[in-house]
Amino acid sequence: DEEFKWLLQEEVHAVLKQLQDILKEASHRFTLPTGGSGGAVKQENFVLSTSGTDQVKGVLTLQGDALCQADVNLKMPRNNQLLHFAFREDKQWKLQQIQDARNHVNQAIYLLMNRDVNYQFKTGSEVLKLMDAVMLQLSRARNRLTTPATLTLPEIASSGLTKMFTPALPPDILVNFYINLNKLCLTVYQLHVLQPSTTKNFKPAGGSILHNPGAMFEFGNQRYEVSHVHKVECVVPWLNDALVFFTVSLQLCQQLKDKISVFSSYWNYRPY
Amino acid sequence: MKVSVQAVAVWGKIAPSHSITAVMITDDQQTIVTGSQEGQICLWDLSSELKISSKEILFGHTASVTCLAKAREFEKQPYVVSATENGEMCVWNVTSGQCIENAKLPYRHTAIYYYHCSFRMTGEGWLLCCGEYQDVLIIDAKTLGVLHTLSSSQSSDWINCMCIVHSARIQEDSLVAVSVSGVLKVWDLSSSLNSIQERQSVCEKESKSLDCINCRAVRFCTYTERLLLVVSSTCWQVYDYCDFSLLCTEFCKSGQCFAGGEVLAAYRLIIWTEDGHSYIYQLLNSRLSKSIYSADGKVMKETVYPHLLCFTGVKENKSFPFVMGFVNERKEPFYKVLFSGEASGRITLWHVPDVPVSTFDGSPKEIPITATWSIQDNFDKHRSMSEGIIDHLCASRDGIKSAVVSSSVYIPSLDKLVCGCENGRIFVTVGLKTARARLLENISSVKDNLPYKVLNGHSSRVTCLLYPHDKSVRFDPSWLLSGGQDSVVICWDIFTGDILHQFSLQSGPVTELLRSPENYRLKDNNIVCCVCSDHSVAILHLQKRVCLLHARKHLFPVKKIKFDPLENLLIVGCEDDSVYIWEIETGTLERHETGETAKAILTSTEDSEDLMADALLPVSQESKRNKNAGQKHSSSYKHGMVFYNLTHNEKSSDKLTDTSCIYQPFTILPVKTKWTNANFHILLFDLEKLEELLLSSQLNGLKSSNSFHSYDTLERAKSTTEKRVLTLKRIKTAGSISPVDGQVDTVSSNQVCRDNSAARPLEESGGMKRQKKMKSSRKIRMQPSSNIDVNVTTDTAKLLLSCLLPWGVDKEIDNLCVRRLDILMLQCPVSFGLVSNDNHLSLMLPGWKCTDCCVLEECAVINLFSKRVLDLSNKYLAATEGQTGMKDGPENNVYGTKGLETVFFLFSRIALINRIINIPSTITGEIESPQKPEPIYDKWRNVEAGTPSFPSFYGELSSSKSRYHSPDSGSVSLLKLIYCWSDQSIKIIEAMQAVLLAEVQRTMNTLRKTAICREPLAIVENGSEATDTPIGSHICNMYAPTPLI
Repeated sequence: DEEFKWLLQEEVHAVLKQLQDILKEASHRFTLPTGGSGGAVKQENFVLSTSGTDQVKGVLTLQGDALCQADVNLKMPRNNQLLHFAFREDKQWKLQQIQDARNHVNQAIYLLMNRDVNYQFKTGSEVLKLMDAVMLQLSRARNRLTTPATLTLPEIASSGLTKMFTPALPPDILVNFYINLNKLCLTVYQLHVLQPSTTKNFKPAGGSILHNPGAMFEFGNQRYEVSHVHKVECVVPWLNDALVFFTVSLQLCQQLKDKISVFSSYWNYRPY
Repeated sequence: MKVSVQAVAVWGKIAPSHSITAVMITDDQQTIVTGSQEGQICLWDLSSELKISSKEILFGHTASVTCLAKAREFEKQPYVVSATENGEMCVWNVTSGQCIENAKLPYRHTAIYYYHCSFRMTGEGWLLCCGEYQDVLIIDAKTLGVLHTLSSSQSSDWINCMCIVHSARIQEDSLVAVSVSGVLKVWDLSSSLNSIQERQSVCEKESKSLDCINCRAVRFCTYTERLLLVVSSTCWQVYDYCDFSLLCTEFCKSGQCFAGGEVLAAYRLIIWTEDGHSYIYQLLNSRLSKSIYSADGKVMKETVYPHLLCFTGVKENKSFPFVMGFVNERKEPFYKVLFSGEASGRITLWHVPDVPVSTFDGSPKEIPITATWSIQDNFDKHRSMSEGIIDHLCASRDGIKSAVVSSSVYIPSLDKLVCGCENGRIFVTVGLKTARARLLENISSVKDNLPYKVLNGHSSRVTCLLYPHDKSVRFDPSWLLSGGQDSVVICWDIFTGDILHQFSLQSGPVTELLRSPENYRLKDNNIVCCVCSDHSVAILHLQKRVCLLHARKHLFPVKKIKFDPLENLLIVGCEDDSVYIWEIETGTLERHETGETAKAILTSTEDSEDLMADALLPVSQESKRNKNAGQKHSSSYKHGMVFYNLTHNEKSSDKLTDTSCIYQPFTILPVKTKWTNANFHILLFDLEKLEELLLSSQLNGLKSSNSFHSYDTLERAKSTTEKRVLTLKRIKTAGSISPVDGQVDTVSSNQVCRDNSAARPLEESGGMKRQKKMKSSRKIRMQPSSNIDVNVTTDTAKLLLSCLLPWGVDKEIDNLCVRRLDILMLQCPVSFGLVSNDNHLSLMLPGWKCTDCCVLEECAVINLFSKRVLDLSNKYLAATEGQTGMKDGPENNVYGTKGLETVFFLFSRIALINRIINIPSTITGEIESPQKPEPIYDKWRNVEAGTPSFPSFYGELSSSKSRYHSPDSGSVSLLKLIYCWSDQSIKIIEAMQAVLLAEVQRTMNTLRKTAICREPLAIVENGSEATDTPIGSHICNMYAPTPLI
């Protein structure tokens, strides 16, 4: 019983402190844009390419949770014609995944902040509830990074992203940016229009992270088929760090929960 | 989904845990609504003297509640919307506890505001929601579908908090919101109504970055129409709404975090903190600008500085975090109330004076706590109502303190309730009898003779129980498994109470016991999975009594368990989305995968294999329960049908099947909420099923008497049959009259019991037989043996009627019910439940009625749901007056002849009411529409279709009965009346009680009448009968021959 008291009064706070430190570290990685006054968030350049072919090459500039510049070079497979697009000066593309992950981490930190050293935990279930809430935020943060949105091709076609480039994207090209684990990914879809007379069986493709050649969809009264897919990616080091922090802190939380549960027989049945 | 289920909750001494995460007071200041981390919503009565009492608890959500808001104009419809962590939303009627609408969206809301613009808006209004997504969602308040979004053109982010600004000056309703990154945004609402309805994109009108991180509240001062209060966790600020210039800033004390605030009056604010304190400030003008210059510094603006007037605080029992709110009503008799809810489930109220002032010396004054309450307080106050289902057993056993039930399981096929306790004991009792003993008064003999068994084997808390035979017949019906805190799994013989085997796992408390999947064909299938709190999984072979595999490597709680029968693999999915694959044969870990591969493995086995452990963790316990609640009804209903036909065919051949159909109308559902050990139970009565069974049992009874007796003894025989059934109910078995007598005194050693399980109907003892019934048992001699289920059915029906009858309203009625109808009085009021569509359930808490029932003077038990019931029952009497007049004669006979018949009749009445009320709940929207009567008409048809099973024997009687059911003029008026009730959101149980009261009153009147006018006649005609029982000569009168065909 004494041991349990010690656990509640000392050990829990030690773990919480440790958790907070880790999460703050993780949160720093997301470089919260300090609204206006704190100066601009630093920009990072990433070169996205595949080792073998250089059909698609992208140079992306990430500023916090937003892509502020993007240069996409595309070598058309048929005629070896080189296409080049860039973001318009006035446009930024927000990577929702990063923003969400950052917000979830901050929520978790806020939950922990409320219980500072002066706060006394009285029951085990109180700690379990706190841990459950924190873990929920953390696993959501991690899931946001590990599971990109599954989009249908019409959704990609209609997203604001297509309108952000100068020169404007040709109608037979679609692009999509997302985060997958620690990587920043760019996919370029080359399309060809399906003629109404075609004998092919039209079957619209569902939602997917990455569509395969041959996927079909209808957009603006026109039927398309994906002819080529190019995917290039680049590791974002700080995303990697963040993911590691998430995993570590989730494990810490679970360990603390396990420690508390060991003593579950000592809980009084009235929780407070 | 048709709901014909009545639920009665049997709580324990310990209230369900309720860690408040959201709290609100309704506009009429009569109800406090709280949402909890456990996922339940609690309704509290708030009296006009600001006394709090918990009233009802609403089940339905499967995750922590994040926010609550009103969902309609409250005067019109008392609806409240709740949203949860996992995206569920639900609209509740807070007066009846009914779930009106529910939905699950992929959004997690943290704040919801109801917005309705009466003259330009179609529909019921909007719910403006913000949360863990970008910008603001507009959700239809009626359908809970997403209508549109309010989007931002720049720096879009999650919105932390918002408020609706109604400004008469600007003639515009707008939504002011502050994002996570501290950007203040304003959207026009009233002028963008059209574009929202036409789904054009709506962007913000203003967007301004404030220097505040983690904003918790934003409020507009409607008194000055100028000030905007922004509360962040570290400071609060006042802005000028016209140009968003900063007027003042106040930082919080170290160690505190601001949590919210509200404008009290012009230049007066109340701010509260995470730890339950609040501060009332007066904003003072200062031309000398004590605080801050406007940002651009051009003009020295008029600024304000705060002066602390009053504060509130809590002293002890602090538990983080506090969720607070404030209602500011200027209308009399409403109060300004500051309220807070704690993680411990406690609610605290402060009555804030209209004009708060500081003390004379200028220092801030403390406002005292006005009221504080928790659910547990209610449980403590109403001890008798919160008695657990087997508390009386524990009490009767050598006076030990009642043990808390930590896990329980109900076995419908045997009508057995198995309860594992904190102290390691396991009680095995008979479900219905236990419930009767717990709820009813004056049956101490039943209580004392309640058959039960105590299984001793665990040294500490019993954490889980499993009766594997229940769902799959491949397990031996005698096996009962229990897992304990002591990491031991015991396999019991449920009939003898012997320990068959004891598995010692040595890996922490056993958290879950699971049946292996049906299609798993390994070794006779007698395999059970066992999850321990160290996240290990053990596979136990019950037949061979060995532990086949103990997989111990899992770092996170186990979420899914699957079997691969081809390769003999065990696939364990953990909460961190990793997967462990074990070889069962060798016990080795074959693979450990994370991420995408893990997901792929789990989904690939999904279709080919079983999915057994979705509801594995305490987290999903609630959802499991809910699923149970729904499925059990529907499936058991269907099963019941099948079974019932079966038993009809082979009635005489097999008693086992015969009795096994008992379970359909009555079940006990054990419920456990998250983070607690204590269990409580819900008794479920399936009205439809019960009614059906009652009808058919009547039929049976009559057939038997028909076959047994010639015409001239018919009357007499019938009356005895009736009587027999009555008495049978008490003495329970008639099989053995004389041999049983010796057993009457109790045998109460631990393992022994008078177990009249279905499996051993013959050794069923009459231990609970009562001497005074000997007389009537004489008459039982010729009773047919197939009637055991009849007794159980009538018992169940009577138990339900007992719960519903308005005891204590009228002594005479009470007497009538007890003596003549043999419906026993309640020991104390019961907690009723209301099952609404889609597995939402509301349960009354002990002490639910104390604010309502000061009407009645000294009476042992008062079971009146509300004062309204009396009015309602009078209305009902009036509405059905014509009818009664019409068939006064026959009805006299109905009531006159048979007490049991009356019970049946009353029962069919409440079933009918239930049906009528439940129809509009499914087609609420069309109440006015002309086709409304159709479905009801169909319903009536159904009812009629049911009535023919009334034996034609009753001739005239049955016709009067069916006339009662048929849509003639009288019934239509009844229908209208009940419709009108349900429109007034009168609860089903109120309606039922009213109807019962009215019917019983009427019965009593007719009885009196007949007693007076028939007595002499009867004596003349039937003197011998009349002298038979001296207690009540009218009773005998009632048995007098009646003019039947």
